[in-house]
Amino acid sequence: MNKKAACCWLFLLVVLGGLLFRLIQLDLRPMHHDEANQAVKFSRLLEQGEYHYDRTEHHGPSLYYLSLPFAWIASGTSFSALTEVTLRLVPVIFGVGIILLFLLLKHSLSLEAAVFSGLFAAVSPALVFYSRFYIQETLLVFFLMGAIASGWQYLQKRSLAWAASTGFFCGMMFTTKETCIVAFGAMFSALLLTHFSLKKSFRSDDMPRMPQASHLLVFLGTGVLVSLLLYSSFFQNPKGILDSVLAFGTYFSRAGDAGFHSHPWYYYLKMLAFSQYGNGPFWSEALILVLAVVGGFAAFRPLSNGEPSPFFLRFITFYTLFATAVYSFIPYKTPWNMLPFYIGFILLAGYGTVFLFTTSKKLIFRTIVILVIGSGLFHLGMQSYSANITFCADSRNPYVYSQTSPDFMHLVKRINDLALLHPDQDQMLIKVITQPDEAWPLPWYLRSFGRVGYWQEVEGAGEFTDVPLIVSSLDKTFRLQPALEGNHILEYYELRPEVLLALHIERSLWDIFLKKQSEK
Amino acid sequence: MTKKIFLIALVISVPVLFTLGKEMDSQDNDQEKVVLELKLPKPMFVGTPRNIRTSNLERITGKKRGPFLVPKGTELLSFNKPVTGSDPEPVIGEMEFVTDGEKSGEEGYFVELGPGVQYVQIDLESSHHLYAILIWHYHSQARVYRDVIVQVSDDADFITGVKTLFNNDHDNSSGLGVGKEKEYIEVNEGRLIDTRGVTARYIRFYSRGNTANDMNHYVEVEVFGTPVK
Repeated sequence: MNKKAACCWLFLLVVLGGLLFRLIQLDLRPMHHDEANQAVKFSRLLEQGEYHYDRTEHHGPSLYYLSLPFAWIASGTSFSALTEVTLRLVPVIFGVGIILLFLLLKHSLSLEAAVFSGLFAAVSPALVFYSRFYIQETLLVFFLMGAIASGWQYLQKRSLAWAASTGFFCGMMFTTKETCIVAFGAMFSALLLTHFSLKKSFRSDDMPRMPQASHLLVFLGTGVLVSLLLYSSFFQNPKGILDSVLAFGTYFSRAGDAGFHSHPWYYYLKMLAFSQYGNGPFWSEALILVLAVVGGFAAFRPLSNGEPSPFFLRFITFYTLFATAVYSFIPYKTPWNMLPFYIGFILLAGYGTVFLFTTSKKLIFRTIVILVIGSGLFHLGMQSYSANITFCADSRNPYVYSQTSPDFMHLVKRINDLALLHPDQDQMLIKVITQPDEAWPLPWYLRSFGRVGYWQEVEGAGEFTDVPLIVSSLDKTFRLQPALEGNHILEYYELRPEVLLALHIERSLWDIFLKKQSEK
Repeated sequence: MTKKIFLIALVISVPVLFTLGKEMDSQDNDQEKVVLELKLPKPMFVGTPRNIRTSNLERITGKKRGPFLVPKGTELLSFNKPVTGSDPEPVIGEMEFVTDGEKSGEEGYFVELGPGVQYVQIDLESSHHLYAILIWHYHSQARVYRDVIVQVSDDADFITGVKTLFNNDHDNSSGLGVGKEKEYIEVNEGRLIDTRGVTARYIRFYSRGNTANDMNHYVEVEVFGTPVK
C-alpha cells in the first residue's frame, strides 16, 4: 500500500471514529434550555409547515429546515414522537461533515495534515460536545469550512461551480447564525493580510489572481439567493429578509451588553488551555493549541521552491488570529461561540504536526514527537469520553454551560408516572408557574401533554385546588402554597445548579400513586 | 276539604315531577359531550440562562427560625461522639466530621457517602433524653436531600426499640415506611428537628442522594438533650 492509500484509509478510520464519538448515548444528557427552545421553535415548522424568522431569538432558519429530513424519516410530522436522538443527529452529521471537508484541503495543507486535523477534530472534547448539541454552532462551522474549502478550490480551478459552491456555503453561514459576520470579517481581513504578506515575499508569483467578474456575480448571486429563500421561509414570510438585516442591530447591542454572559477576554483560551472546577478532573486541549502555534509559525518560514504555496496556510493563520481576537474581545461569551475560531486551531495543528515530523529526520526527535502527540491524542480522547458521557451534565465540565441537571429527569419521570394514573392521562391539566428562564426545557419534555399552561405569576394562573400537577419556581412556590389549601404534596427537583423547581401533586392523585407503589 | 285537595295534588305532583326530572336528566345524558377546549398560555422563548458554577451562600427561602424552647440543663451531647455509617470508606472526608463542631459549607468540612440509601449513626455512649437535633447536609448550594429519615434506638443495630423522629420519604423509595414530613432546602442554619424528649443512645440519619447528585453529605449533626437520671 502506498503512502497516499494509507492516508486515505487512515482518514476513513478517523471519520468513523469521529462519528462513533459523536453518536454514543446521544440521549444521555438532558435537553439544555437552548436545545429545547430550538426544538419547540422547530415543532411549528414540522407540524404546520410554518416558520417565521425572529430577529431577537433563535438565530437563523437553516437548523430548522435541515432538521426536517431527519424528523420525517424518524417520526413523520409528529412533534410528540420526535426524540432527542433525532434532533441531535443533525449536528452530529454536520460535525462529521466538518472532518470530511478537510479532504478538500489536501492540496493546500497536504493529505497528511488533513488526516491529523481530522484526527484532532474527531476527538477534540469541545468539538465533540457541541456536535451533540442541538444548536446552530456546529452547522455554522460546517458551512464556514465549506466556504473556505470551496473558496480554495475555486482559486485553484477557477470554475463557475466552485464559485457557486463558495457562494452557497457563505449564504448558508448567513442563514445559520448572525455571528457569521465575525467569520466573514475575519476571512476578509485574513485575505487582505495574506495578500500583503506574500506580495513582499520571494514567492509573490504564488498569489492567486483576482476572480473574474462573472464568477464574482455567481458567487454573490448564489449566496444572496440561498439567504433570500431561507429567511423568507421560501417566500411565505418576505418580512424575514428585512429582519435578517435588522437582526444585526439586536446582536450588536447584545454583544456589548452581555449581562450574566459577560466573561473576561481570556475566557475561551483559558478554557481550552486548562480548566478545573472544584474536585473535578482537569481539562486541557493545550496539545491542539501548541501544535497550532507550531503550524502558524511554520506558515511564515521562508519556503523553498519545491514546497506548496503558503497562501492557504497564512490565510488560515490570519483568520484564526482575527477570529480569536474578535470573539475574545466581545464581552458576550458562551463556550460554544469559540467553535468558529477553534476550527482554525484544529487545521493549523494538523499542519504543525506534519511540520514537526518532517522538520528533523533524527530518530530520537521523531520518537519524542510520536510519544508526545500519541499520548496527547489519547488524553484528548479520554477527555472527550468524560465530557460527553461521565460529565455530560456536570458543571465541573468546562463545556457544560447552564445545563439542565440530571435530577430534572426525575421530575419528568414523576409527571409521566402520575399521568398514567390520572383519568385524563395525557390530557391531564398541568400548570407551570415560573419565570421564562426557569420553564425550559419543560415544554420539550411535556410535548405529548395536551393541556399544559405556562404563567409567570401566580395571580394570573386561576384556580389551583383541583389541578393535578403544578410546577413552580421557588419564588412562586411560597406565594402559591396558601392558594393550594393543603390539597397538594410538595417535591423539589433541580432544574440547573442552584435552581430548584417545586412539583405540587394533588393529594388524591398522590394517594393513588402510593397505593400503586405499595402493590408493586 | 283543603287538606284533601292538598293530598290529591301531592299524590299527582310527585310522580309528575319525578318523571319530568328523569326526562330532563336523560336529555342531559343524551347531549353529546365534547372536551372543553382550554386556551392555555404557551411558554415564552428566552435566551441562554445564567451559568452558575460557584456556590451561593444566600438563604434561599423562608423566615429566620424563631426561638426553640428546651428544658433547663439541656446541652450539646453529640460533640466528638463516635460516628459510624453504612459506607465504611467515605468518598470524601471522615466520619468524625459529623460531630467535630465544624459547620462550614466549604470544601473539607463534610463527609461524602456513596450513592443510594446511606446513613450515619451517632453513639451518645449512654441513653439521654433528646430535645432537639440539628442537621446540616450541605449548605453551600441550594439542594434538597432525598428521604431524610432520623431514627433513634438503644440498640446499636436498630433492630429493636426503633423510633422514627423525622421522615420525609413520602413515596417510601428508601423502604423504611412512608414519611409525613416535607422535603426542605438546605440552608446554613441547618434543619431543626423537635425530638420531644425521646430517650435513646443511638441516632441514625438516613438520606438517598440529593437534587444535585446521587451522593450523600453530612457537614454536621448536633444532638441536644439531658442525661437520663
